[in-house]
Amino acid sequence: MTEPRIESNAETACFTWSGIWRGFLAGQPLGIGTFVYGLAFGLVARQASISVAEALLMSAVVYSGSAQLAAVSVISQSTPWTSANLWLIAVTIMIVNARYVLYGAATRPWLASVSPLKSYGSLFILGDGNWILSMKAHADGERDAGFFLGSGLAMYTPWLAGTLVGASIGSLVPNPKALGLDFLLVAFSAAAAVALAKSRNDIWTVAAAAAGALAVQQIVPGGWPIVAAGIVGAIVGYLRWKPAGSTVR
Amino acid sequence: MTLDAAFIPLLLTMAAASFLCRASGFWLMRFVPVTPRVQAALNATPLAVMVGIVAPAAAHGNLPEIAGLGAIFIAVRLNGGDVLAAIVGVAVLAAVRTAGL
Repeated sequence: MTEPRIESNAETACFTWSGIWRGFLAGQPLGIGTFVYGLAFGLVARQASISVAEALLMSAVVYSGSAQLAAVSVISQSTPWTSANLWLIAVTIMIVNARYVLYGAATRPWLASVSPLKSYGSLFILGDGNWILSMKAHADGERDAGFFLGSGLAMYTPWLAGTLVGASIGSLVPNPKALGLDFLLVAFSAAAAVALAKSRNDIWTVAAAAAGALAVQQIVPGGWPIVAAGIVGAIVGYLRWKPAGSTVR
Repeated sequence: MTLDAAFIPLLLTMAAASFLCRASGFWLMRFVPVTPRVQAALNATPLAVMVGIVAPAAAHGNLPEIAGLGAIFIAVRLNGGDVLAAIVGVAVLAAVRTAGL
């Protein structure tokens, strides 16, 4: 971890079944959350008269609860719904998911050395939970890029299963809030942050990110406080970098 | 299982917009030389994003959220591992909510 990687931009990562399996196991608790939210999305989609097959395809290609709900609301406001403005849908999804651009950028050093099929294939099922899990594992020394795919699959497959069940038998959907599942991502982020923040330098990142997130939260809630925190934190990391012997991980 | 043919353009649009978000950051970083300074910026991003997810929830949270976050902090510090700590936090939050506090 100490050698400079200026030339290649990349670590030499491997991509093995054992890494995929490790990530898949690590992602199981988060999979419970995506299953229940998948149920909820399936139900909402059916109520907007989107068929089971259509709901499932949407979950397969969009794989983002907030983006899909936003897209469904655009679709259901159009009559007939098939006339919905495609640009409006595209822009809506990109605004809701803007934070993924940042997440993808941060995976570059890790995933650059595996084949494009593996890196872009893994990124296709990038989500908040598995990215946080993977970046924490990476900071702890995980170098197998399969971990990233595996943790993604642990959340993606229950998302599809949840959508299918929710759209088919929507009336059985439990209340995610009563189960505390709305808190699942926050809980994983908090635990990973407490475990990750070790050096004195990290205090600056934490303080700046919190300030950035809370400031933006006042203006636009949703994904944007996360984007602000990530960018502010990256700037602090960039500015506070010190050569050799510093605490940079 | 019915599929309206008019749904296909909608689906392709949604697929393209979604994948663009997930792939563009990774792709763009091809053209950014990763100097140690840029590496430090990328290394700081995960912690910053985690804080960005937690801070609004903590600031707007009521007793269940605060209790859950407190439990997580203690559980990690007691060396329980971060996954276990997260599950403990969700359980504490659900319990406090169920208790109606």
